[in-house]
Amino acid sequence: MDTLTTIDFNQHVIVRLPSKNYKVVELKPNTSISLGKFGAFEVNDIIGYPFGLTFEIYYDNEETSSDDSKDSKQKNKIPIGKVKLLSQEIKDDNNDKSDGQSEIPLAIKKIPTSVELSSVDSSATNQNLVNMGSKAQELTIEEIEKMKQESLSSKEIIDKIIKSHKSFHNKTAYSQEKYVNRKKQKFAKYFTVEYLSSSNLLQFLIDKGDIQRVLDMSQESMGMLLNLANIQPNGNYLCMDETGGLLVYFLLERMFGGDNESKSNGKVIVIHENEHANLDLLKFANYSEKFIKEHVHTVSLLDFFEPPTLEEIQERFTPLPKEEARALKGGKKNSYYRRLRWYNTQLQVLELTGNFLYDGLVVATTLHLPTVVPKLAEKVHGSRPIVCYGQFKETLLELAHTLYSDLRFLAPSILETRCRPYQSVRGKLHPLMTMKGGGGYLMWCHRVIPAPEPALETVTEVESSDTVIEHDAKKQKI
Amino acid sequence: MTANCFSGYKDLIKEGDLTLIWVSRDNIKPVRMQSEEIFNTRYGSFPHKDIIGKPYGSQIAIRTKGSNKFAFIHVLQPTPELWTLSLPHRTQIVYTPDSSYIMQRLNCSPHSRVIEAGTGSGSFSHAFARSVGHLFSFEFHQVRYEQALEEFKEHGLIDDNVTITHRDVCQDGFVIKKGDTTSYEFINGESAALLNANVVFLDLPAPWDAIPHLDSVIATDEKVGLCCFSPCIEQVDKTLEILGKHGWTDVEMVEIQGRQYESRRQMIRSLDDALERLRDIKKHKIQGVERRKRMFNNTVDSSDEKIEKRSEEGIPLTEKAKFNPFGKGSRIKEGDDNYKWKEVTKVETEIKSHTSYLTFAFKVINKSRSDEKVNEVLQSMNKQQKD
Repeated sequence: MDTLTTIDFNQHVIVRLPSKNYKVVELKPNTSISLGKFGAFEVNDIIGYPFGLTFEIYYDNEETSSDDSKDSKQKNKIPIGKVKLLSQEIKDDNNDKSDGQSEIPLAIKKIPTSVELSSVDSSATNQNLVNMGSKAQELTIEEIEKMKQESLSSKEIIDKIIKSHKSFHNKTAYSQEKYVNRKKQKFAKYFTVEYLSSSNLLQFLIDKGDIQRVLDMSQESMGMLLNLANIQPNGNYLCMDETGGLLVYFLLERMFGGDNESKSNGKVIVIHENEHANLDLLKFANYSEKFIKEHVHTVSLLDFFEPPTLEEIQERFTPLPKEEARALKGGKKNSYYRRLRWYNTQLQVLELTGNFLYDGLVVATTLHLPTVVPKLAEKVHGSRPIVCYGQFKETLLELAHTLYSDLRFLAPSILETRCRPYQSVRGKLHPLMTMKGGGGYLMWCHRVIPAPEPALETVTEVESSDTVIEHDAKKQKI
Repeated sequence: MTANCFSGYKDLIKEGDLTLIWVSRDNIKPVRMQSEEIFNTRYGSFPHKDIIGKPYGSQIAIRTKGSNKFAFIHVLQPTPELWTLSLPHRTQIVYTPDSSYIMQRLNCSPHSRVIEAGTGSGSFSHAFARSVGHLFSFEFHQVRYEQALEEFKEHGLIDDNVTITHRDVCQDGFVIKKGDTTSYEFINGESAALLNANVVFLDLPAPWDAIPHLDSVIATDEKVGLCCFSPCIEQVDKTLEILGKHGWTDVEMVEIQGRQYESRRQMIRSLDDALERLRDIKKHKIQGVERRKRMFNNTVDSSDEKIEKRSEEGIPLTEKAKFNPFGKGSRIKEGDDNYKWKEVTKVETEIKSHTSYLTFAFKVINKSRSDEKVNEVLQSMNKQQKD
């Protein structure tokens, strides 16, 4: 099976719930996955389907009831249902995945759309609709809870709720649709299985409330960063990532597309400010350990700027010939291999910090940028881009000014990109009433190699053709 | 075989290389290095032979004609984003904020097989080509097709991972057959190209006419992403209708707003300094009045300061320059070390307030699985566990 397009075992996937929330799950064979109030399902039942499909959880009433009687302790456990592909009409109601709870886009066809609404009357206007709060609904919370316990399908529950709603027929068709969608978010038992793309992982973290951890990043800022940094499968990139590996995951996905078999030899070298790099989020990635080892290297700031010499390394450890190493016993053997690993890491540090020049510098750190970027940029090849992500414009501004006065950097610019989502319904197109703020900023420039100091002769003044223009424009008249 | 000059990384500038010469932000020129040629600017001439052999990113300096100043340029290796800035516009182009968002949202990677219609100025084609497995680009305008084909050949894209076809996709769909005007090279016995696209980008005036043709060329066993790029909201409305009819789901339209900021400085001018300056002016004014009074009364004696200065028109010149904390009356360069500055950002004077609406939709054609295959996998796994 193609794990990039098909749901497969032992893979992390992202599950989209009716509440528009995301959940990352690992698909272990012969296990079940609980989605809380949205039900639970067997992993084996969804394996082999392509990504992007929506499944409904349903229950054969006999089975679940017999389960209950057998084991009373399991009463609070979410019963595991069977799954079937959700029919097209219902799925369409869920057409908007990334937006707030306040505006749920309506379906894109003639109204009424939902099967739940096919047999009810509606009103042309809401003229006769009187706000009577919860009194309009004759079902009590207890009764609804009971229905849920009885594992009725979401359609049955919603049908009953509509029937028990006194003024439902006074609502307009659009308003009815919204009502049904809102109820679905509560009672529907369906889920969509998606590939764990970098954007999906970001969305998952945002939903979880980890905005600070991901430095307020947005999909659009990350997309622009990848393009401006000219990320390619065979590039070697210097990277600082304070998001716990999200930025690295964005790079890897663009470079290799999740493919463990990729023949490309690009590398991401993560420079970290603590003793060890934090790439926690890569635990969700479906790259093999071997793949990550080959394509992601970590070096601390200290090792990067003050690498050990070969002599220093060899003074502390020299590997034994293979046969001798194999002959070692027990604790000695373990400690030998631990030290061998250390030795190899050190040799790698040497290699990564030597005369090697990188194909790009990509930074998302809260360290003071004017001190970090010019130093790291020493290791960047001429003509290669430098892109810094910052949550705040001001920190990038200070950096841009610093780089502007340094001839090794060409045309530092501060960029911002924002995505504005619309309610995407025919005849009712308008921007959503609320959207996420933030999204950060980017500083983009190119590493260049200044021409050697002009010979002394008679020349004292050096002006670049472009700085002539730019400085002229910048004179401030007071 | 022409090497793709947009992919991979080059160290030294070589004879025959396509370079981008950066003169200024809005003057970036594509130049192919030929040792006998000269690159001319209004500041002076840069012989290619002085550029060839230097590392990419090098600044090249010359002394300008008749002055003691130096002028310089930077020589860069082309990237799709720089290319977009330098582009000879054949049509309205898709700019980086839009193209980068589309690529990210459609999860572009070496795994992607992309359909693009139309090619236009080829700006987005370059960005796609850099990042995806294969790009199938369609252009219905004969001249633009030929120009784009020529350009893609020169850039080494055709020999790498780009196919361009002359086609009105709204009328004739996307299938590439033998005998079509296309850069596609058919392998022995092949009568039609296998596109199997999983990403589709439609930059067409009437995308609704093209959408029905997609089913025969998109991948059947995986989720396919589509983006329509339309400037008018009426186009979006029509597109939504047809997407619904043809089974595209998860439909969402968005708009991207890109902004670029200039880093600038504003002088910090304190209230105290402003007050002090006014006091200073006032003081000098009073002194002047008194002096004139004394002159009028003929009481000027030798001990008084110098004779009052008057301009040719007879207006007295005050010595207000004595306390001039803000450098009034002279042109101060932004950031002058003699003054205090606050770093500020200034948005471009003209912004692209609307490029186009981006309508995204997704489709899975074959929504089934092979139970047999799943069972096989399961059994082999269970067996492994037992062993």
